[in-house]
Amino acid sequence: MRRWCFIMIAAMLWLVSCTGRKAHDLSGVNGVEDLKGYSVAVAMGSSYDLMLSEIAGVDVIRLGVGELLVAVEKGRADFCIIDQFQARMLNLESRGLEIKFNNILKGTACAGFRKEDSLLCSQFNAYLGGIRNSGVYDRWLDEWKSASDSMADASLLVHRHEKQPGSRALHVGITITYPYLFLKENNLTGIEVDMFNRFCEAAGYAVDYEIYDFSALIPALNSGKIDVILSHMRRTEERAKQVLFSDAYIEGGGAAVCRSGDGMSSGERAGIRERLKDSFNNNLIVEQRWKLMADGLWVTVRISVLSILAAVMAGVLLCRLRMSRRRMVSLPAGIVIDLLRGIPLLVILMLMFYVIFASSRITGTWVAVMSFGLYYGAYFSEVFRTGMESVERGQWEAGLALGLGKFQTFRKVVLPQALNRIIPVLKGEVIALIKMTSVVGYVAVVDLTKASDIIRARTLDAFFPLILVSVIYILLSWLTGLGLKVLERQLTPKRRDL
Amino acid sequence: MIKVRHLKKVFRTPGGDELTVLRDINCDIEKGEVVSIIGPSGTGKSTLLRCLNRLEEPTSGVIEVDGTDILDRRTDISLIRRRMGMVFQNFNLFEHLTILDNLTLCPMTLLGKSREEAEKRGMELLGMVGLHDKAGCLPGELSGGQKQRAAIARCLAMEPEIILFDEPTSALDPTMVSEVLAVIRHLANQGMTMCIVSHEMQFVRDVSTRILFLNEGIVYEEGTPEQIFENPQKPVTRAFINRIRTVESILENRHFDLYGLFGKIHTFCGKYGLGTKVSDKVEHITEEMLCGIMPFCGPVKLTIEYSEKTSGLTLTFRQENATTTILDNTDEDSLSLMMVRGMSTSVTEPETGTVCVEI
Repeated sequence: MRRWCFIMIAAMLWLVSCTGRKAHDLSGVNGVEDLKGYSVAVAMGSSYDLMLSEIAGVDVIRLGVGELLVAVEKGRADFCIIDQFQARMLNLESRGLEIKFNNILKGTACAGFRKEDSLLCSQFNAYLGGIRNSGVYDRWLDEWKSASDSMADASLLVHRHEKQPGSRALHVGITITYPYLFLKENNLTGIEVDMFNRFCEAAGYAVDYEIYDFSALIPALNSGKIDVILSHMRRTEERAKQVLFSDAYIEGGGAAVCRSGDGMSSGERAGIRERLKDSFNNNLIVEQRWKLMADGLWVTVRISVLSILAAVMAGVLLCRLRMSRRRMVSLPAGIVIDLLRGIPLLVILMLMFYVIFASSRITGTWVAVMSFGLYYGAYFSEVFRTGMESVERGQWEAGLALGLGKFQTFRKVVLPQALNRIIPVLKGEVIALIKMTSVVGYVAVVDLTKASDIIRARTLDAFFPLILVSVIYILLSWLTGLGLKVLERQLTPKRRDL
Repeated sequence: MIKVRHLKKVFRTPGGDELTVLRDINCDIEKGEVVSIIGPSGTGKSTLLRCLNRLEEPTSGVIEVDGTDILDRRTDISLIRRRMGMVFQNFNLFEHLTILDNLTLCPMTLLGKSREEAEKRGMELLGMVGLHDKAGCLPGELSGGQKQRAAIARCLAMEPEIILFDEPTSALDPTMVSEVLAVIRHLANQGMTMCIVSHEMQFVRDVSTRILFLNEGIVYEEGTPEQIFENPQKPVTRAFINRIRTVESILENRHFDLYGLFGKIHTFCGKYGLGTKVSDKVEHITEEMLCGIMPFCGPVKLTIEYSEKTSGLTLTFRQENATTTILDNTDEDSLSLMMVRGMSTSVTEPETGTVCVEI
């Protein structure tokens, strides 16, 4: 037995050590072809991802936008590819990073429309052509390019336009990509947002931005959730099969970022205190980013509370059906419960959003509440059922024999005893539910986790947002547990002094 | 007060088989009577009792309470149940309530009593069953006997017209049986109408005004305690009352397995605590009877009966196809017969071919 433990531990240590990367000599790398043999972090589903996948010998690490720089910083990847415009605006030197080479997959970003929405697309193209010819476009781009990272007036640059009553509202799917689309002081801003606002004003549309994961944009467009993709998307053959692309509105390319040659590791740059302080400032104070977190927290709390209520209702209903003596009722209920418990929650959520409610305008929040309600309702119903079955039949019989009706017996005799056994078990499930709400980002809801993702995509710093989010989730779980414990104590039978 | 006609109850086993527990029950319970239901286990005594307040749904038949057909769908069974208390084998006190709250829950919910009123009456009843001090306790803190007394008090709190007792002492330690029986006796003395299913024969005999002996799904025999206990009319009743245990063996011919039979006798005697001495005696008598006296003009059926009540042992040897009496045709000086007579109190031949030996 002991020998096996040793072997297990040794094997684990070996595996862990294998995941660490050896330092590579990066000096000879000057282009995409030279990346063979190196590990490269890219945003999942981005055009860099597609490009690198076709080059044999490159170890592609697909991550979220927020994790790319951190991966290089921590040595988990040799390179990462981010937008060169963005790379220039970030203070890379302070993080011990540098741009190795530029102009990767030099290309142009286009807006995406549904195939059948060619009228809108041509309107947009006409607008672009117009400002290009009149020189407005160049002036406007220069303004943005000259702005620095800390540009205080970034939000002022964005053209705001009033909604005109009665105009068609365009639902625009975006992914937070600095500096094209980002949040500043909790307001959406960036070059692309500015441009699109101007277009909408000229064409007489109202506009409504919704934040999606990059990989979810095309499904969202095709299922009718959004009308326009405005997310610095490049035109590729693959994408063009599903999306009608506009003319290019911005030119750009990728920059390969690696650790700078002088080999300053992040640990030596500054003391832990300084780094914490920096991280705190960057992730919360600057541009009032805490407001985004606070909004996200509120959304998480709201979804959690509504989902728990929905799950309890669904659970009671399913439990009632499941415990029916008629097989015609209990059998289908059992199957539904097994199905719901057999599908991963994330898949249920996506199914509800992109398939079942694809064509309706129901918001992600309500889809999430319904999904969580159903999924956890299935779990709750089984908890309720065991609780009910743990109350002896004799208790029912005693109530009935004394002349209480069925419902009175349930209400006064069985339920108090069942609840007493249900609550402790339910506690774990409820806390699991709260933590599980962190996946709602997939259906365009900005909750606590998504808010931290957005901040991380902007600051490209993993440490502080993740720690903060963890702490908040722990607090939420702890408070919920405490509340349920108080309830449990209330329900515990107590003797009376008479 | 309660009239039962042609009551039938069939249980459906999970395997899909049907098990008829009550075939055709007819009985009446009048006001002021204490009716006890006795019978071998598995004859549906509890089922009958539970049909009376419809905790068990009868398959067919009629049950009338004060002229109301309680099996009629339009009858509000809850109203009937309020007037019929029930005491369960496993007490079934409400585990989440204190003893006093157990007593006050239903009067407050169903009879519209105020809390003060219900608690005052509750304390009186607890005093009556000797649990005044336990009013604030939870059921889990009480002994079995105390729980059952509390359960009886809970019944009484609803001021019922009849109480059904479903084996009220079966789940109790022997030491606690008497305290519960004392409470039930007290109620009987006060003239409470009761229907009791119990295995406590002495108690049943003392407290009942009438006894129903249930067997094979019908009321097999019915009468006053004297009739049933002193002078039962049917052999099954007699066997049950005297708690007679039997073992049977059929011996085809003279070449039967004697040692196999000895083993069987030994086991039987051991089971009822008769000791080796008695068992040896039975074996000797059996050997002499079968090897020396019985003519074996066909199979012989041996029945050994032991009454736990009188401790009497009876061996019956029945010769099939017997044409002549056996004892008269046996030489009185035969060694076997002398030995048998020596070891027993009486050897008789009540009918031709059947010899009874009593020890």
